[in-house]
Amino acid sequence: MAINGYYGQLLDINLTTGEINKSQIPEEDLKRFIGGRGLGTIILWDKLPGPGVDPLSPENVLLFMPGPFSGLPIPSSSRTTVVTKSTRTSAVNSKYEHGSTVSYSNMGGFFGPEIKFAGYDGICITGKADKPVYIKIEDDNVEIIDAGKFWGMGTEEFDNALIDELGDRKFESCYIGPAGEQLIPMASILNTAARAAGRGGTGCVMGSKNLKAIAIKGTQSPKLGDHKAYIELLSKVRKSFREDNTDELKWWRHGGTTGALTSSSRNGTQAVKNYGEGTFGEIEKIGTEANREKVWKRDFACFSCHLACKKSGIAKGSYSVMVHDGPEYETGTMLGANLLISDLSGLQKLIAVADDYGIDIISVGNTIGFLMEAYEKGLIDKAYLDNIDLKWGDVAASLEMMHKICNREGIGDKACNGVKYMANEIGQDSHKFAIHVKGHELAAWNVPVNSDYWSITYATSNRGACHMNGGSPDSQDDAALRDSIAACSFASTWYKDEISYAKFLTAITGLDWSEEEFAKAGTRIFTLEKMFNYREGFNINDDVLPPKFFENKFTVGDHKGAIVDRNFFKNHLADYYKLRAWDTKTSKPKNETLIDLDLGFTIERT
Amino acid sequence: MNNTKKYTRRHFLQDMAFGGGGLIVLGTFGFRIFKDKEQNLIKAISVNFEKCTGCRTCETACSAYNHPIVIDNEKVNGLGNPHYSNIKVYHFNPDIDIPSTCALCPDAPCIEACPVAPDMITGRKALYRDDNMSIKNDTERCIGCMQCAKACENIRGGIIHSNPETHKPEGMCTLCDGNPHCVENCPFGALDYIEIPADRDIANLAPAKIAERLIKQLYNINV
Repeated sequence: MAINGYYGQLLDINLTTGEINKSQIPEEDLKRFIGGRGLGTIILWDKLPGPGVDPLSPENVLLFMPGPFSGLPIPSSSRTTVVTKSTRTSAVNSKYEHGSTVSYSNMGGFFGPEIKFAGYDGICITGKADKPVYIKIEDDNVEIIDAGKFWGMGTEEFDNALIDELGDRKFESCYIGPAGEQLIPMASILNTAARAAGRGGTGCVMGSKNLKAIAIKGTQSPKLGDHKAYIELLSKVRKSFREDNTDELKWWRHGGTTGALTSSSRNGTQAVKNYGEGTFGEIEKIGTEANREKVWKRDFACFSCHLACKKSGIAKGSYSVMVHDGPEYETGTMLGANLLISDLSGLQKLIAVADDYGIDIISVGNTIGFLMEAYEKGLIDKAYLDNIDLKWGDVAASLEMMHKICNREGIGDKACNGVKYMANEIGQDSHKFAIHVKGHELAAWNVPVNSDYWSITYATSNRGACHMNGGSPDSQDDAALRDSIAACSFASTWYKDEISYAKFLTAITGLDWSEEEFAKAGTRIFTLEKMFNYREGFNINDDVLPPKFFENKFTVGDHKGAIVDRNFFKNHLADYYKLRAWDTKTSKPKNETLIDLDLGFTIERT
Repeated sequence: MNNTKKYTRRHFLQDMAFGGGGLIVLGTFGFRIFKDKEQNLIKAISVNFEKCTGCRTCETACSAYNHPIVIDNEKVNGLGNPHYSNIKVYHFNPDIDIPSTCALCPDAPCIEACPVAPDMITGRKALYRDDNMSIKNDTERCIGCMQCAKACENIRGGIIHSNPETHKPEGMCTLCDGNPHCVENCPFGALDYIEIPADRDIANLAPAKIAERLIKQLYNINV
């Protein structure tokens, strides 16, 4: 008998042998790691034979993890986390050739709820199919089906083709595009042709297993610990959304994260010109109002969400393209402001092409920005770039580079490995403006302004540079908890006091989740990830920032002159380790800290 | 019609929801045929496709209310697995979401198709129209032939399906005892429980057909 709110069941699929098992998840793991990102990480830890596993080998584990909130109509709380060992990260000095961090990447949409409806707390893929396959799941019926005819298909076409094949529009699915199939390290996993588990090479791992897609539907619900208390909480939180008249709710519905394009640019916190500036003078051209006027037709929400931050439409201009989602803050910055691109339809085209290939837009935008800077500085010439005149603001050149990267063609075969790799290739001190941490490219929030928050956020994130990480132990633990229960960070402000996440989790599980125990679970999850990384060879030498932030001053905008102070960062990081009770020389969590967090088992295994 | 106001996309979408564009999700019925006991206006559920975001909250609300669980002898809303919902939201690509549910059609092709002989006293076939205008099935008399589902599928929204265990039709809207939970819980005000004008003659359509027209209208492309 599983803990209430769960099935206690993991759908375990080995693609090498074709074995399909429903394995029991230990109760202790559900109690300590909750679900989603946390539960995924402990499963990954247990299933990998040890540190140093090649992320592209059949031994790597690919987990699709809903949380205990998934599938319940708790507003904006049904996300899905993909957990695996990263294809993107590497330590400064690890004894393992394939030492890499944990990867967790989180997507909205409708996939996670359906995992719960089918009767599972997660799906675990290991091994490698001998030919392309997809997996079809209807409750207990699980089939591994030939996907040969779908291999090579872009996500846009496949999204419809799969539904045609299944003959039932009520299946929810997630899948890779050609980028994942061709093992582009920065490939992503998508659902609904737009929503992506973009970061950390999730799609590359899926491609390495010859797995094109998973389609799933189900008829079940778990039994809750305190059903009546849950119903009461649900009605309270729905009321709080219904009666909400704040600007925040309106802001999400009006523009979604796109609203941050203009505000962040104004505040000097945007990645502009490969992070050289924090403000983009032409940002209005790609901002919310421009999109409302010219592109967007309708708002879209994830499962049981009240915010509806996704926008779709048709972009017309120098390019004509169906827009499934965009620009968001991240995609609009990384393929827009960061490349000085302000042609709205061009930007939309770049986003659509990237999604069709199934590639992480943050990493690919960052990489193209890096190449633009190297080209401008004369460190590489046009011949090196296969004759692409890769100038700032050039949509056609960026598009050509995108195709090269996603097809591993010429320069793309190198560039698809990201900026850390390219800086090694190009040399000439180009590592100084290779904007990554631990090999994972930074996202669209620039560091110098609010550097106390963003420097810690990027330097200490467990999947390598991550904008969702949080800049203090508390905010990091909160983020880990949201990813574990499956809540969306955008809606977190609505969940407090008598309708807190901990109260919901208590009602769902029937366990006594006090606010303190809940917070501690967040610390536990974050620290387990840290120990995973430490075991792989990551230590204090890897918690760094790219040199550019200490050497480059902004030249435009209200925050002209902004730069990160090296000593400030050093001291700030030391303070962070102290708050975490981690060793300030190595960054390793202290043994007593680990024991206090019920992570004693990690001590002997690192 | 002396309406000289500019006919905008908004009007078009609204008309679609109310039937002017020839499309309706939850339809209406003529007053000459149906009146409730107090001779008041008849109410039905309408969809505003422009406001719908495809979040599927309506599915969970319908399922939770119509599939309650019993705790301490008290009926409490269930957990709302959308599989058991009578209203279904269908996603399409290019992006559009079509909530689809029983339209309580005035001419009820489903009842028309039911082969069970009318009861001598009530005049009801196995499938019949209840006092609140919703379509109900008398499972005692139903023979599970699913002619009703075929009729709905062929010329209306295709919302009736066979219960996998009883093999009897289900999926018809219950109107939740007068307070449709899909409407009450829609976060975006896309569903309305509205009074229907007397002389409208509107038929429910299959989601794919509605999607096809909406996609053309919204994105100006063919699918």
